Amino acid sequence: MTAIAPLLSDPYHQSFAAFMAERREPEFISRLRQAAFARFETLGWPTRRQEAWRFTDLSDLQALTLQRPSTALIDAAALPSLEIPTHRLVFVNGRLAPGLSQVRELPERAMIAGFSQALPDHSALIEPVLDSLPGLQSHPFAALNTAFWEDGALIYLPRNAVIEEPIHLVFYATGGDMAVYPRLFLMLEQEAQATVVVECRGQGSYCNAPLAELQLSHGATLHYHQVQEESPQAFHLSGIRVRQSRASQTQLHLFSSGGQLARTDLEVLLDGEQAECLVNGLTLGQENQTGDYHLRIEHAQPHGTSEQVFKSVLEGKSRSVFDGMIHVRKHAQKTDARQTNRNLLLSRHAQAHANPRLEILADDVKCGHGSSTGFLDPDAEFYLRARGIPLAQARALLVHAFAKDSLTRIALTPLRERLDRVLATRLALDSLEGN
Amino acid sequence: MLEIRNLYATVEGREILNGINLIIRPGETHAIMGPNGSGKSTLANVIAGRDGYVVTDGEIRFDGKNLLEMDPETRACEGLFLAFQYPVEIPGVANLYFLKAAVNAVRKYRGETSVDAMDFWDLVHERMELVKMDESMLKRSVNEGFSGGEKKRNEVFQMAVLQPRFAVMDETDSGLDIDALKVVADGVNALRSPERGFLVITHYQRLLDYIVPDHVHVLVNGRIARSGGKELAVELEREGYALYNEEPGRARRAV
Ligand SMILES: Nc1ncnc2c1ncn2[C@@H]1O[C@H](COP(=O)(O)OP(=O)(O)OP(=O)(O)O)[C@@H](O)[C@H]1O
Ligand SMILES: [Mg+2]
Repeated sequence: MTAIAPLLSDPYHQSFAAFMAERREPEFISRLRQAAFARFETLGWPTRRQEAWRFTDLSDLQALTLQRPSTALIDAAALPSLEIPTHRLVFVNGRLAPGLSQVRELPERAMIAGFSQALPDHSALIEPVLDSLPGLQSHPFAALNTAFWEDGALIYLPRNAVIEEPIHLVFYATGGDMAVYPRLFLMLEQEAQATVVVECRGQGSYCNAPLAELQLSHGATLHYHQVQEESPQAFHLSGIRVRQSRASQTQLHLFSSGGQLARTDLEVLLDGEQAECLVNGLTLGQENQTGDYHLRIEHAQPHGTSEQVFKSVLEGKSRSVFDGMIHVRKHAQKTDARQTNRNLLLSRHAQAHANPRLEILADDVKCGHGSSTGFLDPDAEFYLRARGIPLAQARALLVHAFAKDSLTRIALTPLRERLDRVLATRLALDSLEGN
Repeated sequence: MLEIRNLYATVEGREILNGINLIIRPGETHAIMGPNGSGKSTLANVIAGRDGYVVTDGEIRFDGKNLLEMDPETRACEGLFLAFQYPVEIPGVANLYFLKAAVNAVRKYRGETSVDAMDFWDLVHERMELVKMDESMLKRSVNEGFSGGEKKRNEVFQMAVLQPRFAVMDETDSGLDIDALKVVADGVNALRSPERGFLVITHYQRLLDYIVPDHVHVLVNGRIARSGGKELAVELEREGYALYNEEPGRARRAV
């Protein structure tokens, strides 16, 4: 195993050289890796002096000596389930675990596969599009992912293909002091439709830095869910890049409750008229957790719609960061872009940072943003107690009331119900049935 | 059943209640009238146990138990109910869910099992008819977007479902049209029984035509300035509070 010591680029260099020496893969991938590694070297390890990293304290991560992940076996019982038929790909420490994965019957020419498996036969499909999306160019972990990814999921739906069953991707990490770089590439051709659930979980103190590239052609529809329930010692640094063509629709649901530090950087390019994008985020923080979101929605074409709704519920000394940018290009008239960030603090020591940003170069647009941070309403709390409901339950009800519309927006029922149970457990409520 | 003795209370350091004595026996309905700011809601909130209302002297006993030692939920579980002057909006908590949680909290306190879903539904329906509340209100968030009258009706509805032994009704008639007033009064009257007590705070004698009280008290400057029968309400309606009000600088702790 080769150590990847952050800060010192030399060991990184050695590590990269050793990694490359082992790879047996097409030339175009090697070139992408070289370019990404060069980009990482230029960018360097982020510091809090950089605006985008001001609230992201990586010092504990830097203290780890990150190794390349080893192969590991895990028990199928440790894996999350959606309790309905799915296409499932499980990646353990960044590598496909075929025994835990199962892809059901697919429409003609559609593909859901592990990258390494699919590459030999499908490099003609992959070569022109892999790592081709704009966005996250200055994100060091996106660069590291492109340099070091070993495996990932490849999802391709041809024109008009509609997959009813959710595509369930599990990125599971287990072990200590290692960095895992899973990859997802998804491409929906015209009018194709898919539902994807990406679950990030694990055991131990690792760094999980997945990178997803989502590309939608005309009229395609994607419901994408990222469920971050990493181990309490873990670092989660994910990147998501999206490009949408005309009249395509995405819903990106981002749920975060695990990890000691979890950060997601998301860039969406609405690159066709009437493209629509919803980004719905819910962060649950406790103890010393940090939940961090950096978003950029780029309206490049007219008549686009985007909505960002981010909520956080923070206990203990936890923190949330919401840094959301709406950028409307000059040409993107009739854009409708909204952004809200609401944070509920359950302790005096919790903190929420909101940094909503609008850059609007077109003149005929509807854009709005709002942000609020507060404690539970004492009048509401008293009202519930005055009807006999004990304090802890009253608080839990109010927290659930705050958070639940984030979950209500998730159309995928088994996932919504499961997350509702996660929330209820956090709140120590027996049942929220009926509310 | 409710005994208030020599009760003094402050809000944000200001003395609001200045020695209240009031005894309400099972089956009795008492009305409290009094000018704005005289401390009526303060008394109601002290009885219900709201934060920020500090009792500096005196005591309240509920069926002999020291009420002031109980937290608000315990008081409610013991059978106390406050119909709020300003019912609170709680977005995201459905009315029906809230009511069920309340009913079950009280049952749990009494050592009973959770309410059977069908029984609960029957009870809710019956009580909804009593206060002529529309079923659609059940699914809506508690009081959110309710009109003033709907909020008051919802208070009575909750009371009718929870069936407390003692209820304080803080201006439940304010903002109601005549029909709604009758509905509210019917709701209260339906619950009146030899075991139940009511304390009805109102500005209008009209309500007392429907909910006929056994005793009427006039609260001025945090004290009960006068008590009488239901005819006192008629007199107050005619004369106003001028008689009671011109005592500036009066010693607050007069014995
Ligand atoms: N939470 C509070 N904070 C500050 N002052 C308060 C608070 N509650 C009551 N007070 C003050 O105490 C006094 C009595 O108020 P209270 O609400 O008890 O009057 P009331 O008799 O119910 O009046 P109304 O007829 O207008 O409802 C008022 O001067 C009021 O401003
Ligand atoms: Mg009042």
